[in-house]
Amino acid sequence: CTKDFDSKNINPVKVVEITPQELPFLFSKAEAAASYTGGDYQVAQNLFADLYAQYFATTATYFPSDRYVMRFDWVRTHWTNHYTQTVPQLQTIFAYTDKDSPEQALAHIIWAFAFQRLTDYYGPVPYFQAGQPLTSIPYDPQDEIYDDLFKHLDTAVTILAANTSAKPFGSFDLIYGGDAAKWLKFANTLRLRLALRVSMVDPSRGKTEAEKAVAAGVMTTTADDALMKKSATVTTDGNGLSTIAGWNEFRMSAAMESMLRGYKDPRMPVYFQPAIKTGEYHGVRNGLTAAQLNIQQNTNDYNSNVGTRWMGWSAADNKWVNIYGTSQNILHCAEAYFLRAEGALNGWDMGDDARQLYETGIAMSMRQWGITDEAAIAAYVSSTDTAIAPGDQQHSPAVTKALIKWAASEELQREQIGTQKWLALYPDGFEAWAEVRRSGYPHLYEVVQIDNADIPAGTAIHRIPFIELEKQTNGAAVEKATTLLKGPDNASTLLWWDVKE
Amino acid sequence: RATNRTLKNNSCFQDTSAPRITVKGRVTDGQSPLPGVTVREKGTNKGVITDGEGVFTITVKSNATLEFSQVGLNTVYEAVAGRTSLSVTLEAATKGLNEVVVTALGIRREAKTLTFSAQKLDGAKLNEARDANFVNSLSGKVAGVAITQSASGPGGASRVVLRGNRSIQGNNNALFVVDGVAIDNSTPDQLGSDFGGYNGSDGAANINPDDIESVNIMKGAAAAALYGSRAANGAIIITTKKGKSGSTSLEYNGGVAVENPFVLPKFQNTYGQGNGGVYAANASGSWGSDTTTYADNVKSFFRSALTLNNAVAVTGGNEKTQGYISYANNRIEGIVPGNDLKRHTVNLRLNTQLSKRFSTDAKLTYVNQEIDNKPRGGEENGLIIDLYKVPRSVSADQLKNYETTNASTGQPVPLYWIPSSSIYMNPYWMANRTSYDETRNRIMALGSARYEITPWLSLQGRYTLDRYADKILNTYNNGTLLFAQPGGSMTVGFRDVTERNADVLLSGHNNLGRQLTITYNLGASDLVRKNSYSATTANGLNIANKFDLLYASARSVTTSSVDRDLQSIYGSANIAFKDYLFLDVSGRNDWSSTLPKPYSFFYPSVGLSAIISDIATLPSWVTFGKVRASYTRVGNDADPYLLLQTYTYEEGGSSGYIRRDATKAIGDLKPEQTTAWEAGLEWRFFNSRIGLDVTLYKTNSVNQLLRLALAPASGFDDQYINAGNIQNKGIELTLNGTPIKKEHFQWDVTLNYAVNTNKVISLSPDIKQAVLGGNSFGRTATPIVKEGGAYGDLYATRWARDANGNFLVDDNGKPIGTSTTAYIGNYNPKYTLGLTNTFTYKNWSLSFLIDGKVGGVMTSGTEATMAFDGTAAYTTKYRDGAWVLPAVVQSSKEVNEKAIDAENFWTTVSGGRYSWGEFFVYDATNFRIRELSLGYHFRLKPNGIFKAAKVSFVGRNVLFLYRGSAKLDIPGIGKRKMNFDPDVNLGAGNFQGIEFGNLPTTRSLGLNLKLSF
Repeated sequence: CTKDFDSKNINPVKVVEITPQELPFLFSKAEAAASYTGGDYQVAQNLFADLYAQYFATTATYFPSDRYVMRFDWVRTHWTNHYTQTVPQLQTIFAYTDKDSPEQALAHIIWAFAFQRLTDYYGPVPYFQAGQPLTSIPYDPQDEIYDDLFKHLDTAVTILAANTSAKPFGSFDLIYGGDAAKWLKFANTLRLRLALRVSMVDPSRGKTEAEKAVAAGVMTTTADDALMKKSATVTTDGNGLSTIAGWNEFRMSAAMESMLRGYKDPRMPVYFQPAIKTGEYHGVRNGLTAAQLNIQQNTNDYNSNVGTRWMGWSAADNKWVNIYGTSQNILHCAEAYFLRAEGALNGWDMGDDARQLYETGIAMSMRQWGITDEAAIAAYVSSTDTAIAPGDQQHSPAVTKALIKWAASEELQREQIGTQKWLALYPDGFEAWAEVRRSGYPHLYEVVQIDNADIPAGTAIHRIPFIELEKQTNGAAVEKATTLLKGPDNASTLLWWDVKE
Repeated sequence: RATNRTLKNNSCFQDTSAPRITVKGRVTDGQSPLPGVTVREKGTNKGVITDGEGVFTITVKSNATLEFSQVGLNTVYEAVAGRTSLSVTLEAATKGLNEVVVTALGIRREAKTLTFSAQKLDGAKLNEARDANFVNSLSGKVAGVAITQSASGPGGASRVVLRGNRSIQGNNNALFVVDGVAIDNSTPDQLGSDFGGYNGSDGAANINPDDIESVNIMKGAAAAALYGSRAANGAIIITTKKGKSGSTSLEYNGGVAVENPFVLPKFQNTYGQGNGGVYAANASGSWGSDTTTYADNVKSFFRSALTLNNAVAVTGGNEKTQGYISYANNRIEGIVPGNDLKRHTVNLRLNTQLSKRFSTDAKLTYVNQEIDNKPRGGEENGLIIDLYKVPRSVSADQLKNYETTNASTGQPVPLYWIPSSSIYMNPYWMANRTSYDETRNRIMALGSARYEITPWLSLQGRYTLDRYADKILNTYNNGTLLFAQPGGSMTVGFRDVTERNADVLLSGHNNLGRQLTITYNLGASDLVRKNSYSATTANGLNIANKFDLLYASARSVTTSSVDRDLQSIYGSANIAFKDYLFLDVSGRNDWSSTLPKPYSFFYPSVGLSAIISDIATLPSWVTFGKVRASYTRVGNDADPYLLLQTYTYEEGGSSGYIRRDATKAIGDLKPEQTTAWEAGLEWRFFNSRIGLDVTLYKTNSVNQLLRLALAPASGFDDQYINAGNIQNKGIELTLNGTPIKKEHFQWDVTLNYAVNTNKVISLSPDIKQAVLGGNSFGRTATPIVKEGGAYGDLYATRWARDANGNFLVDDNGKPIGTSTTAYIGNYNPKYTLGLTNTFTYKNWSLSFLIDGKVGGVMTSGTEATMAFDGTAAYTTKYRDGAWVLPAVVQSSKEVNEKAIDAENFWTTVSGGRYSWGEFFVYDATNFRIRELSLGYHFRLKPNGIFKAAKVSFVGRNVLFLYRGSAKLDIPGIGKRKMNFDPDVNLGAGNFQGIEFGNLPTTRSLGLNLKLSF
């Protein structure tokens, strides 16, 4: 009597067959998984890239990653989520939709967006054979990965340019609700980002790709901005930063404080909120020891948490209140202007001159964060205010000498672009850390204590080493991959595009 | 047995020419007639069975000898000597020699015929010094039984492992069988990480110990081959009481006990809240100044918990019908205020002998259990961690002031001694303003009918149902950190578990010649198991603290479902040669719905035993001697739904998400296999005054269904594969004796000893290690299964050493932790010992059980937390001074000269929540007086109201005789004593060896009264 055994053995609470009905749900997943939420946001991004970009500093005594100690069991989340939550969904869409469909174009863009975030942590990663059910997946060199990312964008742009009024995935596209025209600008802006990333190691490729992007149309107004819809009621799908900022484990960095307060930046009350105890904006140096963190001035209530768009404070209940429904920042037109400004300094055709692009970038960032006082924006752009000594417990000096007002020398201009882009990219630590490494800007503090023997005193972290999990499950491939690096497999070795002296 | 031997000799001289006569007789047990007794002419195959009145008629030679036998009774030989009427009395088998045990499928067998190891316990040994979970009262009483409790207060699940762990990711718990039928003993929701949470209850804890007649523990797979896969971990076979014919009797068993924490950590009582020797209002630790402290602020949190157990049972019946009805009421308080367990158990049993050949057995058990306020275990805002984090300078009174009122809403707002924690709260808030309540209603029903087709062949049909419904309500008041969104949070979960089994069994016995008899069973069964769970969470309530889903501001739902069917046919045969050589063979074929076509797997067993004392002439001081050996293979199916690749729907996004599950399905799933060898001896000497039972065994579990990590770049985190070979080898020894046996005084002693060695022989061709319990975020240590290692190996961050083994420190003289984790010990004990001594003097009896575990380690996240906070007693050393660690400076390779103070040292190595496990790993060796009972039997008049009365003073976990210490000898600090009970684990799953915020075990002292009317 085994005739009903097969039907009995189908899990009623799971989906076991993918039909056209399920594909939009898969796209939503791939898109959302390419950035993070909840505890994943913390261990994939906040405890690494966000700290290494010095947006935040750790205040919890038990998180050593701010002292450059690699916790592979945490950082692996970026790896496993990427390969198991983004890649399989995209590959299913590649397999189940028409090659020229706008749906396929969106999948190509998310593919490029997500893989760039991954490869910029490690350098070589499994790429060309990713998603194959093999026991060992080889790593590919970062230059070849970047080359292929451009190709994915080529495909996407070709399809979208022919379908600008299409609505792929409709409301299941959590960024643009399926607006193909906006995705086209997104794809071009992403191409511009990639172009600048390779611009120092491969200037001619950088130029070609950047000019191609600008010619095809990058984001130009805040209406083009990419924000991901987040759920106000499903706490597992809330804004990543909103989910974790109530845990009292990090605060504003001293670098942020030095610049935001020094520049009298209108974005300060948006990015952060005053400390509970003092009512003032204060930050903490990165890399403090447990003993230093126990000193009152370095503790949570004496320093600034993220702004109220992410986190509310209920004095009556003595408790942080998550604002889960805040949209997550993905890609913004301000960045496009800063990228073009740098391109213009490189002598590329970016459609405008560097200064104009730089100043528009600042203005766009302000508008993006709801600052509408044009006079205040204009005053900021021409300001000669300097970053200040934050008055922290470490008696740190001002973090940078960079001014906002357009400087005369090209190198200072590059620093200004890097500094303002860093301010504008907040809270995207992934991109900010990558650009700090590539461009060397802005100047940031040395971490107070380095507990990682691979990173010499006075230097900064350049890379996440290959994770322990990979050594256990994909050991042979990891061993081969180390030969693709420019140095040993540690946190000091520079990535392929990281060539600035 | 002496008579037996005489008769055997006599039979050689039988006169074959004697005349034949018809003998009629009646067999009784002294009072009642005995139906079903085999009456056989000695030396022939001729035999009859007594009828319902115990009457038989047989025609034999006038000088024949008749053999009267029935399982469970002493065989009697009676010479006919020309008589035509006989009256024979059979007595119950004396202890040990002809003891009857209940084996697979409820088949009763004489212990001497068994080819495998089985250890029997009398029910009375389990219901005196009680535990809320009766399973825990098996500890120390049986060789090779390892019991760990989960840290969840009364009603928490227990883990029962026989002969070592064999399954890496599956269940290692023994199977529980009640009256021949396996019951559900699933242990859902066991903590699999030190993050924390609530442990679910198990199924076995619902068994009322007062209803237990006897327990037979069949430790190996051999014993249980006929129960199918689930018995691969061994089986605990419980026989419950049934009615007896004769006069009606009533029994009462009542107990009252008081429970207090058995062992609490040692706190320092010198320094108060602060850092660096200075008071700081925002500090969470106790590294402040020498100030007023409160030694009792932790202890006063716990209450003296009262336990009340009351059970009555009425039995009665006549020859046709016997009944048993019992009711038990357990009211058990936990030591955490508000944590209670209330249980009602009603049990009805009816046996009938409808005709000479047709009998029935029906049983209905109903259990209603409510557990209120189960304490939250683990690290994150767990009750115990919250409590132990209280600075030493915070008084119990300040602590009890755990809330204030929000003036605008009238709702409570938590108070904490520091304002900015995001994780920890006042433990009184957690005890009073959060709750986890579990209600269970369970019905176990059995109906069985037996028909004797011929005197030697019977057919039995049976239907059983085990069904329970759990309701779990978990609430967090508005303001609870981590768990409550505005308004508060609640989850209500419903679990519905059904296990239904229908089986038929054909049993017979025949003589195959003069000296050969065969007993055989042929059966078929259909086992259906269903389990559904759904939980709705409202994290955020529109009206604060209104805990009904109606008020949800956001709702989320999780569901799961299991539906599986196992169909089996099986057979066994026991061939006896001359009543001293026994051969067992069995075979079983299962068809499981969880496997791919053809769904089928077969597994056999074979065993042999020989009663040496009957075969050979041994010295007279040898009472009994037996050797046995068996070989078994047990197959095992898998969980359902593993064959097809699945995708999961998640809430959120636009209308939800779908993602492919990160576990790769296994379309060609094969059944797991365990092969087990065992050999043993059973000897009794000096008229059974000394008994020895030794078993050697070896089991290999191969083809295990493992979820092993894949390179995530493949798109999967892990995959199911059939692989691995886990080996357990061991020795079990039971020695019992009666050193003194006088008219008024007797001393009985039983020693159980077991040693088990586990080895992970292979895992898979590609993957050489896997995490046990499924979580890689070990905050103190992680159990890892590695090829070449052993099950239960723990890995953690260690103190880094140079090539010469010197400790390494940094430029400031602070210890350096290893960058990767390394082996720090194995959580399984090397061997276990249980020693029971019973003294009886006239009406008094004194009994105590010493339970010991030697070897094995446990890491304590609680200790790490206390070290970080400076609340542990050992953190007072080097506070006002500092010490230079004898170590090498990593950067310079020079000898360390930098001094370090206690605060710097302990905060470095404990790291707060993620500690260097090596510093907090303890040798789990411990010996304790597990049970103590002093009883008095009243002398009663023969015709009084009471037939028997016994009052006893009982204790559990009376005292530790020995406790291990920290494994790491920290220079200048030494080895710290283990101040927790290593018997308790976070959960009852495979994630073991880790203590983090475990509720302390309790010492229980009480009185027990047994009365028979």
